[in-house]
Amino acid sequence: MVLGAKLMGGIRALLRKKQAEQEMDEELRGYIDAAAQEKMRSGMTPEQALRAARVEMGSTEAVKEEIRGAGWESVLENFWHDLRYGIRQLRRNPGFTAVAALTLALGIGANTAIFSVVDSVMLAPLPYSQPDRLVVVWESTPHFSHVWISYPNFRDWQRNAHSFRQIVAYASADSDLTNPGVPEHLKGELVSAGFFSTLGVSLPLGREFSTQEDRHGGAPAVIISHRLWRDRFAGSPAAIGKIVTIDGIGCAVVGVAPPGLHLGGDPDIYKPLGQGDALLLDNREIHPGILAIGRLGPGVTISQAQEEMNSIQKSLDRIYPDADRDLGTDVVPLKQEIVGNAGGTLMLLLGAVGLVLLIACANFVGLLLARSASRAREFAVRLALGASRARVVRQLLTESVLISLGGGGLGVLVAKWGVNPVLAAVPGDLPRSENIGVNIPVLMFALGVSIAVGLLFGLAPAIKSSKPMLEATLKEGSHGSTGSRHRAQSGLVIVQIALTLVLLVGAGLLFRTIRHLWDANPGFDEHNLIAFKVGLSPQLVKTPEDTRVACQQLMERIRKIPGVHAADFTNLVPLGGDDNLSPFWIGTHEATYSQSAPRINLYWTGPDYLQTMGIPLLQGRFLSPEDTTKSARVVVVDKAFADTYFPGKNPVGESMTIAYWGTVQIIGVVGHVRHWGLGIDPFSQYPPAYASFYQLPDRWVPAFYGYLTAMVRTPLALPAVMPAIKNVVYGADKDQPVYDVQTMEEIASRSMSPQRFPMILLGAFAGLALLLAAVGIYGVISYSVTQRVHEIGIRMALGADNYEILRLVIGHGLRLALFGVAIGVMGALILTRLLPSLTHLLYGVSPGDPLTFVAVSLLLCFVAGAACYIPARQAVKIDPMAALRYE
Amino acid sequence: MNPRATELVQGTLDMLILKTLQLEPRHGYGIALRIEQISKGVFQVNPGSLFPAFRRLERQGWIKAEWRPTENHRRAKYYKLTERGRAQLKTETAEWTRQLAAITRIMEA
Repeated sequence: MVLGAKLMGGIRALLRKKQAEQEMDEELRGYIDAAAQEKMRSGMTPEQALRAARVEMGSTEAVKEEIRGAGWESVLENFWHDLRYGIRQLRRNPGFTAVAALTLALGIGANTAIFSVVDSVMLAPLPYSQPDRLVVVWESTPHFSHVWISYPNFRDWQRNAHSFRQIVAYASADSDLTNPGVPEHLKGELVSAGFFSTLGVSLPLGREFSTQEDRHGGAPAVIISHRLWRDRFAGSPAAIGKIVTIDGIGCAVVGVAPPGLHLGGDPDIYKPLGQGDALLLDNREIHPGILAIGRLGPGVTISQAQEEMNSIQKSLDRIYPDADRDLGTDVVPLKQEIVGNAGGTLMLLLGAVGLVLLIACANFVGLLLARSASRAREFAVRLALGASRARVVRQLLTESVLISLGGGGLGVLVAKWGVNPVLAAVPGDLPRSENIGVNIPVLMFALGVSIAVGLLFGLAPAIKSSKPMLEATLKEGSHGSTGSRHRAQSGLVIVQIALTLVLLVGAGLLFRTIRHLWDANPGFDEHNLIAFKVGLSPQLVKTPEDTRVACQQLMERIRKIPGVHAADFTNLVPLGGDDNLSPFWIGTHEATYSQSAPRINLYWTGPDYLQTMGIPLLQGRFLSPEDTTKSARVVVVDKAFADTYFPGKNPVGESMTIAYWGTVQIIGVVGHVRHWGLGIDPFSQYPPAYASFYQLPDRWVPAFYGYLTAMVRTPLALPAVMPAIKNVVYGADKDQPVYDVQTMEEIASRSMSPQRFPMILLGAFAGLALLLAAVGIYGVISYSVTQRVHEIGIRMALGADNYEILRLVIGHGLRLALFGVAIGVMGALILTRLLPSLTHLLYGVSPGDPLTFVAVSLLLCFVAGAACYIPARQAVKIDPMAALRYE
Repeated sequence: MNPRATELVQGTLDMLILKTLQLEPRHGYGIALRIEQISKGVFQVNPGSLFPAFRRLERQGWIKAEWRPTENHRRAKYYKLTERGRAQLKTETAEWTRQLAAITRIMEA
């Protein structure tokens, strides 16, 4: 009630300002008259009484000011006045305003850009209904905390797990579409029935797979993506029921997936998981790349679900000891799974860009201090006229917030236009990067940061300006207290240099890491090597024998292309991220259950693969075309395997048993290949081994042939040789798409993107910081020179030559720089050790690498010296006579 | 001779203004005069404190202003106590009496 009355009173006062003014005048006049009347009654004359009454009241204007101040609306009016005055002041000094705003624009813009990435990748909720109820269920073994799940286990989970309202599974499975339209290779997913409803998304057309379709022998059905629907069926509802030829089989389209699903890439086609390869799905021991997603039931927490899954899996382990012994489960929120490691790197970058903002703010404070020094008289006058200090501080804060808001607005524009091109140029393999852009949360962030910067960093200069040192400033030609200002600016510069050093060290360490990774020998010759996949036509792969012949003939034709030196295919590509871990036992039989057996990373390749890749033969022989299903089973191992399992001996001729295949003979040893990454090999305990694809048992051929990659060694560039290759492929059958074409160098380079992405961004930030710090040093030294004109003049008059003056000025700057470098080095030494998101990226360099530290320190000192050069030259040009006269 | 006029705390001034309006509405100078006379010159309220107080009390809804014509064809702004103002006065008087008694007890102890 009272609030409302107050509100109304204030609004009324604002609206009827003129009337309120007149009424106040009238009331005060009446007061004076009444007072005069009273005085006349005590005997004064009318003139005396009137004068006395006026004196008693004092300044009418002051009284009116007090009255105005009594209501809340005065705050608003003051603010409005401050705003207009501030804008006027800023416009009178466009140079200062522009530089200050630009400085902040750089800092705030970079922060906004990184925050927009953080928001899209880490903060924004997943595009499913109630996404925090969605979890991923992994299986775990004593060796690995997360492994793909086995389908029979999953079915048992579905039947028994009550923590989930629904639990479904999916796996990626690419397919070749040949009809209707142009043959195309499609990224696809195998999904259980109920997959889309578990996610909580509805299909714009058609329906999900039914449980009848989600099993062996179910009617061939597919769900197509929104894009495919638009492209091949013009978005028409008649698409439902149409037949499309997928991998040679006619499948009915039963539904269209909603756009923007973004789960594991952008699949174009969905097939029922239950219709997948029976060999892979029915075997409880096999974990064929399937993942489970569940929606927690109402009120169920993740830890409750975890407990239930633990007990379910324990009973499964008991019932099926051969397949499931020591198997466990791990329930993880879906978002955490999708974001993965990106979070750590993004936080590192956010911290780094925060440092850049601090450096920019240090320049901002310096500019404000310089500006307020030149406005000292203006403030002195205002204070003398009776303005309170708070009023002056409020005024200055308004101005600094105006500048920071302007800088923030510019920064938002920079972020808006800059983020996506930069991300395209520096592939970071960031998950959830489709929606990065300047949206509401990002704008709020920019606004908040701008206002905070304006207030926080404008406060100290504002308070300093409002100090009433009236006499000194009102007199002409005084220097005021410049000592403290110089100290403040010097301190700021030292901090700037320290922060810049930290950033440079981070970028430098990552740079050296990349150099080491590039120089690391991966075990094969990654140059002049091209990789691509072919979607073999279903006509050619009707039987396993046909498949083998098709692959062989294709390779032979490719080898005949002029410029091709060697070619063969493989199921795994080094540094490609895939694996095929197979349990094995030394000797001729399976000594233990498969979960506890060691593993090799088994490559199924053509006989020429090892030579094509340039992997050196150390002992024995390579695979050969004579190794077929009719000859003895053989395998080629690598040096790491030999050193681990046959130390000091020659393993050629020894036997080993590989799961699902049988006992094989080791016929050769080749050099070790870093399959998992150029840096520290985290899975070096699972060395590669090579077997001939032509020895793969018939029943496995259909499962493997779709995942073969052809490797071609040729000095020709991609555009020169691909047309010939495509001709060969189409010559065999025109319905065979060629896809995933890349050079081995590109693959190797992409394997380094966890380091390259932060390195490039950190490098950019460090460069920005260097620029800002250089500007800061220039400002301080330049100011110090103008303050010391007198002193320099005396020195020159006393015989100092140019070099001595230069040394004086540059020496001053270098001294500041050295201070900053010292502090920065200490800080960097601590930080680089403490940040796991940085240390786990490094390879070949220690966090305290002396070469990096020394190099960036020298760089920083050089830049500092260069920044002092112009003020130093101006110092040298000082005319001693004029300087001596200058007071 | 009047002893040096004492400054009035804002809250106390508000209470005194309400009190002077208890019997009848008055205009600005009338209120100042009454306070000065009844307090025997101890409190001389200057307009710089008085008028802002009026605005405050008006905003709170404790007094209401109305213009009345005066003899010489001018008008004067008269303030009168509202119902809520009377209640507020009662509350403040009780509180003031309580505090005064407590201070007296302490000073005489």
